Amino acid sequence: MKILINLLKEAQDKKGYLSEKVMKGLSEKYDIPLSRLYGVATFYMHLKITPQGKNIIEVCGSPSCILNNGNTVEKSFEEELKIEAGETTKDKQFTLYKVSCIGCCDEAPAALINGKAYTKLTSEKVKKIIKELRSKESSKTKPRKKK
Amino acid sequence: MQILKKTQLKSWKKAQEIGAEKVLELLEKKGLVGRGGAAFPTAKKWRIAKSQPVEERYVVCNADEGEPGTFKDKLIIKKNAETMVEGIIIASWTIGAKQAFIYLRGEYEYLRKKLERQIKEVLKKAKTDIKIDVVRGAGAYVCGEETAILQSIQGFRGQSMYKPPYPPVEGLWGKPTVVNNVETLTCASQAILFDDWDTNLRLFSISGCVQKPGVYELPLGIKMSEIIKIAKPKNKLKAMSFGCFGGIMPINENMPVTNETICQNQCHHGAYSVILIDETYNVVDICLSIAKFYTYESCGKCTPCREGTIRMLNLLKQVRDGRASKKDLETLNEFAHHVEETALCGLGQTSGEHIITALIHFRKDFEEYTKEKKAKDKLKNKK
Amino acid sequence: MKITIDGKEHEVDEKKRILQICEDIGIEVPTLCYHKDLFPESRCRICLVQKDGKLVTSCSTYPTEGCSIITKNEKVKKARERNLELMQPSAPVCGPEDDFEICKIYKEVGLPQTRFENIKDYPQDLGASVIRDDNLCINCGRCVQTCGEIQNVYAIDFMTRAHSEHVSPYNNKNLSEVACIKCGQCIMNCPVGAIRESPHIEEVEKALADPKKHVVAQTAPSIRAALGELFDMEPGTLVTGKMVTSLRKCGFDKVFDVDLGADLTIMEEASEFLHRVKTGGTLPMITTCCPGWILMMEHFHHDLLPNMSTCKSPHEMLGMLIKTYYSEKSGIPAKDIVVVSIMPCTAKKYESQRPELDSAVDYVLTTRELGRLIKRKKIDFVKLSDDEFDTPLGISTGAGAVFGASGGVMEAALRTAYEFATGKGVEKLEFDQIRGTKGIKDGKIIINGKEIRFAVASGGANIKKLLAKKDQYHFIEMMACPGGCIGGGGQPIYTDPEVLQKRAMAIYQEDAGKPLRKSHENPIIK
Repeated sequence: MKILINLLKEAQDKKGYLSEKVMKGLSEKYDIPLSRLYGVATFYMHLKITPQGKNIIEVCGSPSCILNNGNTVEKSFEEELKIEAGETTKDKQFTLYKVSCIGCCDEAPAALINGKAYTKLTSEKVKKIIKELRSKESSKTKPRKKK
Repeated sequence: MQILKKTQLKSWKKAQEIGAEKVLELLEKKGLVGRGGAAFPTAKKWRIAKSQPVEERYVVCNADEGEPGTFKDKLIIKKNAETMVEGIIIASWTIGAKQAFIYLRGEYEYLRKKLERQIKEVLKKAKTDIKIDVVRGAGAYVCGEETAILQSIQGFRGQSMYKPPYPPVEGLWGKPTVVNNVETLTCASQAILFDDWDTNLRLFSISGCVQKPGVYELPLGIKMSEIIKIAKPKNKLKAMSFGCFGGIMPINENMPVTNETICQNQCHHGAYSVILIDETYNVVDICLSIAKFYTYESCGKCTPCREGTIRMLNLLKQVRDGRASKKDLETLNEFAHHVEETALCGLGQTSGEHIITALIHFRKDFEEYTKEKKAKDKLKNKK
Repeated sequence: MKITIDGKEHEVDEKKRILQICEDIGIEVPTLCYHKDLFPESRCRICLVQKDGKLVTSCSTYPTEGCSIITKNEKVKKARERNLELMQPSAPVCGPEDDFEICKIYKEVGLPQTRFENIKDYPQDLGASVIRDDNLCINCGRCVQTCGEIQNVYAIDFMTRAHSEHVSPYNNKNLSEVACIKCGQCIMNCPVGAIRESPHIEEVEKALADPKKHVVAQTAPSIRAALGELFDMEPGTLVTGKMVTSLRKCGFDKVFDVDLGADLTIMEEASEFLHRVKTGGTLPMITTCCPGWILMMEHFHHDLLPNMSTCKSPHEMLGMLIKTYYSEKSGIPAKDIVVVSIMPCTAKKYESQRPELDSAVDYVLTTRELGRLIKRKKIDFVKLSDDEFDTPLGISTGAGAVFGASGGVMEAALRTAYEFATGKGVEKLEFDQIRGTKGIKDGKIIINGKEIRFAVASGGANIKKLLAKKDQYHFIEMMACPGGCIGGGGQPIYTDPEVLQKRAMAIYQEDAGKPLRKSHENPIIK
């Protein structure tokens, strides 16, 4: 059964966001008006119609996380990445969002990074995570040493 | 924990042996009610859908657990998904549905691959041609509401529809659809199989200013003091909030936690998510975080919720910044009531609860921040 | 079932919603997002009533046995006002020329004082035909449903959610950048005037005030059937004479009749059709005088290009004649002539600006704009005497007049085609099978022993339905607006579908009252 929200998510999984080209292709393939496709895509927070950073960080801003130093953790991310919530770093590696409850209230404060849950965060943990993600990226682009 | 007991397809076998009517009678006898927050008798809902004079029917498992402070369904999906899937099969078979959906919230995407594997295994072992598809939620709290979830599945913006028509009469594509919570369907499978299934146990999601947050299976009527003992607060507790929508009330250690006692404090129990707040916090700051949540999650369809939620947020910001007068507090209360009375769906109808209850029980916290108080304090300090 | 409304007991149909029940018994409940032709979404929350103590929206709620409904008390009044107050920071304040539905509500409850400030800051979407201002929008959703379900164009939809939910074409584009057919039906259904026609009154006023300019007005058939409504006259009152008088009083130097252009169009249309039938040309032949339909064809049905007739639209034909034939006859150089078409149509504003058309028409004013112009000149329309169109370009036949209603072009074309082909007049001039405001109508006629099947559709959704079975027919008329031009995007705004029927009757009345009823009998054409 063709479920539109699944189709949009699958299309987004491939390129990281739903470009106009992709949306036009979906519109033609499934005979759905473009305006409706965009209406659906822009309704949901996880569907993006603009390019995103390589790593998407969603910091939880709900009461249970706030009551467990959530604001400090959010600030740590902002300081480490030098951006504010809603922005992408200049090198396009990270996009930071502040989101509603992600369901990790018993392991607060928490964040979703690339869809995976990172819990019981502290400023130190945040620094470590960002460092690891950055080094992962640079090890990919490092030229292989000639034998 | 009772909720983690596995039925291993024995419940499905029993259901087929005793027949659909006996299944419904059994669930009625055991008193199973919905665990998503509305507490509607499960068998009654299934009966309504079953009795509609149409061929197609659907079952939707609502795994869009989005209420802040709620994480019990996550536990079930992680630790006892097979029983939940069995519950979906039994529900579908009982009402005569051939297709079921699990609407899994986007924030639980990391649980999806394992869940899909488990669905495949259970369906194979159950030897049924009932289909179960996972719908990938995409970050909208409102899609936990039963009409919004149906709009989302049908490929529309996940905005609520007014009721009637009720989903068990007219749901997906106009056909009777049963929307049940993850916990409800798991309990259905267990209630059919286990003779000693206890209907009074509830999953309390406890979090906040505590050292031992978590999901605790406790009986209804348990004293507040017991819950506090289990959770081990870090400091002296001041208030508790039932999710975001249930309202904020003061701690009453002797209060047994039941529907009646909670209502007496102008609150709602919902799915029994308890967020405990201690004395180091001003309730206004909690209200601010809750108001931000509603402003962000409002679906935008109806005037009172779309415009009212952001107005309530802005008023709270004014309060917090010391720019609000007593009159502004009255406006805040007025519109919190107004949005609740005139909004289209459950989200809007509960979006002002935190403000209304906080103003009733914690008015002093608000007045701390008002211009009048600031002026008074200034005068006091001058002296 | 028996229920109580405002203290009185009533026997009601349980299948009707409370709003309709109140309407039936004459109780007025204010509404904004509710519309008879559209699915009630219950967004605005203005139509609140109290049902057994609880506030509910009357547009979406059914009565229950023995329930008590209260439509007027302090609680209901205050609730409605609070929702208006929540809309107020951005909804329009209503100037003296505005008469949108929200203006009528303000007249009753007074302009609500709002304690909130405006937080919207959307750029305006200015186009050739239709302009939108999201800052005034109250998210009623009527335009979205109209463009989607009724017109089948889907140019706009709601975007984002919560307080930033707004109506827009996809990906923040302007209407001119997407497949919009400029039919203006969205304007007809907007209760707050957040969508309007692209205005040209100022330019026309300037030309009228310029002594060097010879300003000519030409009026479409549909104007005379609806203009009176803007002056509180009964819908369906034919006001041809007053319309001409008012235009002269506004300062127009000459008033010509687009119905003559319609007659001209028919000469070409009928000839082309017969030619195609004779020589095996592409059939069905589809009419092209509706610019909204042309845009629809260009955006969605390019493959139909060979089927389209090659005739220009009536006002363009007449505009051309004005700047050539009339200019010559009157001795006024074409560059000093300003042609203003009064149209029921917003798409014609775009049509006259299309570079590939090389239009002779300088400005297009909608019926509503003409109404505003008349009011600005402080002319008492209702008291005007009847005048005649100017010659030579004011003489028309009944066939030209019926263009205004859906099925009219077909009827006019068949009257002439039949006579051209057979040498004698058609038995009955009125083709009842294709008269009226029904969405799709069809019929057949024998011409020289051959059965010619014809069909007409009005409104986008009906066009889609007819296209699915187009090959059953030889000749098809397509109108983008429901009911034809009488329901065009530039006409006075109506909410009662009966108004459309009454306007159609006025058109047929004009046709019946004409001495000449076939286009080819028009002396100017001869």
